Amino acid sequence: MPPLSPATLLVLVPLLPLVGAILTILLGRVLGSRAHLPAIAGIAAAAGAAVMLLLATANQVGSPHGSHQEPIRPVEMISTLWQWATVDEAYTPAADSAAAIPGTAVSRQPSDARSFSIPVALRLDPLTATMLTIITCVGLLVAIYSVGYMHDDPGYPRFFALVSMFVFSMAMLVAASNFLIVYVFWEAVGACSYLLIGFWFRKPEAARAAKKAFLVNRVGDFGLAIATFLLWMTYGTLDFHDTLSPDGTILPGILGQTRLADAAGIVGGVVGTAICLLLLLAACGKSAQLPLHVWLPDAMEGPTPASALIHAATMVTAGIYLITRCAPLFVACPGALSAVSIVGGTTALVAALIATVQNDLKRVLAYSTISQLGYMFASLGTGTMLGFTAAIFHLVTHAFFKALLFMGAGSVMHAMGGVIDMRRFGGLRRVMPITAATFLIGSLALAGVAPFAGFFSKDEILATLHSRGWPDAHSEHHDAAASPAVAAAVRQASVPVLFAAHSQTASQPLSTLDTPATFRTLFWMALVTAGLTAFYTFRAVFMTFTGPTRVPEEAGHHAHESPPVMTLPLVILAVPSALAGWWLFSTNWLAHFLSATPSLTAPSVAKTAAPHVFHMDLAIQGSLAAAIGIVIAAIGHLGRRSDAPQMERFLGPLQTVFANKFYFDQLYSALVVRPLEALAMVAALIDRYVIDGLVNGVATIPVVLGGIVRRLQSGLVQRYALAGVMGVLMIVLALAWQLRG
Amino acid sequence: MMPLAAPLLAATSMALLQNALIVGAILFALGLVGILTRRNLIVMFLSAELMLQGISVSLVAWSRHHGDWGGQVLVIFVLTVAACEAAVALVFVLQAFARTGRLDAAAWQALREAILVRSVDRELPPSDAAAASWPRLTPAGVLPERTADTPLEREHV
Repeated sequence: MPPLSPATLLVLVPLLPLVGAILTILLGRVLGSRAHLPAIAGIAAAAGAAVMLLLATANQVGSPHGSHQEPIRPVEMISTLWQWATVDEAYTPAADSAAAIPGTAVSRQPSDARSFSIPVALRLDPLTATMLTIITCVGLLVAIYSVGYMHDDPGYPRFFALVSMFVFSMAMLVAASNFLIVYVFWEAVGACSYLLIGFWFRKPEAARAAKKAFLVNRVGDFGLAIATFLLWMTYGTLDFHDTLSPDGTILPGILGQTRLADAAGIVGGVVGTAICLLLLLAACGKSAQLPLHVWLPDAMEGPTPASALIHAATMVTAGIYLITRCAPLFVACPGALSAVSIVGGTTALVAALIATVQNDLKRVLAYSTISQLGYMFASLGTGTMLGFTAAIFHLVTHAFFKALLFMGAGSVMHAMGGVIDMRRFGGLRRVMPITAATFLIGSLALAGVAPFAGFFSKDEILATLHSRGWPDAHSEHHDAAASPAVAAAVRQASVPVLFAAHSQTASQPLSTLDTPATFRTLFWMALVTAGLTAFYTFRAVFMTFTGPTRVPEEAGHHAHESPPVMTLPLVILAVPSALAGWWLFSTNWLAHFLSATPSLTAPSVAKTAAPHVFHMDLAIQGSLAAAIGIVIAAIGHLGRRSDAPQMERFLGPLQTVFANKFYFDQLYSALVVRPLEALAMVAALIDRYVIDGLVNGVATIPVVLGGIVRRLQSGLVQRYALAGVMGVLMIVLALAWQLRG
Repeated sequence: MMPLAAPLLAATSMALLQNALIVGAILFALGLVGILTRRNLIVMFLSAELMLQGISVSLVAWSRHHGDWGGQVLVIFVLTVAACEAAVALVFVLQAFARTGRLDAAAWQALREAILVRSVDRELPPSDAAAASWPRLTPAGVLPERTADTPLEREHV
């Protein structure tokens, strides 16, 4: 077989799961209990292709141990498949707008008129390659695990078709090179998520949770839609990449290398901040950040493998991906960037607090996911190279250990006959040793215990927050790229910006947020969250796996270790959960690899690159926090019956607040749901009485007229005859009247 | 026809037309009164025929007056149609009688709208039409070949 070119592989990664999904839909009934075969084959082949792409890209980026002096070249490959939509002269400035726009250094020229075209283009760069590998590999393991978990489910083929469809959508989302295509697949993953949350749609809770997830996500999607409109109005294109027009000129894309090389190419100011905040809103919806986090815990009504794949490892990281991809846009708007950090830090803390009192094992993990995603947001918001790479680093390790933890929870749930309330079982390490061991590894990784994966990625996030909170302590790491001379030099070049305030002259909204004090606060919040994470993780471990063995009666004969098809993925995932952090950190491979992503080679981001160091003091602080959390959890729960009310006594009234999830659901119910329901009721009344009344009113006209005329039908033939005679008489009289004169 | 006799002929013709029209009008009026006042289905039918014939008489009169055969041709048609109509109408009358045992048209006033009250001028004694057996026509011609499961006569016409 001839070696496949990267362009072919790039198409194959989304295409094969799509083919798998279509085959599963078409042949599902025929295949029956073998319906997983097309989906698993498709995802497995896609995973192979993704790994090959990762290796090919890594080969282009080069070794991290090369010379640190020369700047990293951006690595990107664009494969345009076809033009989806083309509108000629979609934007034509008015004739009298040739003058400069008041208050800006930008003028609209007639030559700014441009066409709207949406190329269906796939891109390959380090960020995409990393995401594709995570999506397909975790997807493959989840699909294999589902063979055991979902067996005998009546919707077996449907499940695999949806998982396969999700892998396709997610792969397209991270490989698309155009905001509109991103939007399309942003919606597609949302639809797959909706269908999987509501997989057991006969269960009212599942149907309600699916609806909730979809509706809450709409709020974020709205942000992405408006951001897309604004981006088009501002930049005149939606492409990420530069395109070569037929006449040989380069049409710069929003995140293309031409624009990124030019400091004035990215719009800041009010418009830039608005775009970034709308993108942040979109990311908050998909990644379940405050205030749009309420859907994720309810999404646990879906099958556990779907929770592991979509609501822990992949789809919820779409927000992280989007912000990383748009890093230059955010860096140009320090205010919006700080907002990202503040949202993330707050979410991390709030979700961790809620997680400490949850008794549902999957919900603990769900809040933990929200909290860890908050970590990533906090890291992104620092706007430094380390911040972006640390977020993706944590994304990668989190994908491994959170998928592991979810599948472990699913294994417990499978054995306990669907019971997931931690108070109802305990001491399961004797019942299911493999699940217990792998769950423990995942918990150690999540809690950030050295040398497991989470320790290193969390440490990097703490380091990046620390570097912004105490800039002096880190100043020696900054290189000279930020010197004014360089900035002035790049400012000379000009890349068209259609509609915006000039980034250097306009005021930067929200920039008061961008202070060291903000990041100092966030650092302490993150440290507290680290302790809480360790606490709630080990609280779950101790409640589930230690103490006297107790099994709920629903378990029946299921109370034993899960079949190998389920434990094998757990064991496979336990390896990277334990080792990936150490390996990626010690070799600095991932950070170096990602820094060749075009978005991160923008001077505004690249200048913040710091040498790779291990912050021993931060590592000690982080580990100390984790140790305190684990010790408290051990004091409260180790060796005790898991239904003992430890938390209630310890927290007092705070427990009520946490258990009610800070009253977010009640707040939204009062502010959004109830008013909308009232509005719907008014609309229903109008429909019933006004609209229906009108229609029924029209219908009564023939009834009334008929009521008058029906009196003529007497059943007496003579009367009919008389009526006929009278009629003839009238005609005769009328004729006589006419002929009279 | 001789030219000399033309004025006389014209005068006679006019008188003849008048007489014939009067006869036709009387026939028509009698028929009209009959159909409006009588309730016996056969008498009503006869009255209708009377009206038809009144019209026919006037048609013939006009035809003769104008020296045009068209009117008389029309009368032939009317007679033909009336013969057919008589056959059909008598079937209806027979069927109606078979159902109710009466020739009274008012016996069918149950076909009125439900909201209307029954109009009664004189209460008739109850009819036992359903119980009575009316003579059937005897089959004519050759008896058709029949098997056990093909009935000799249809249950309903």
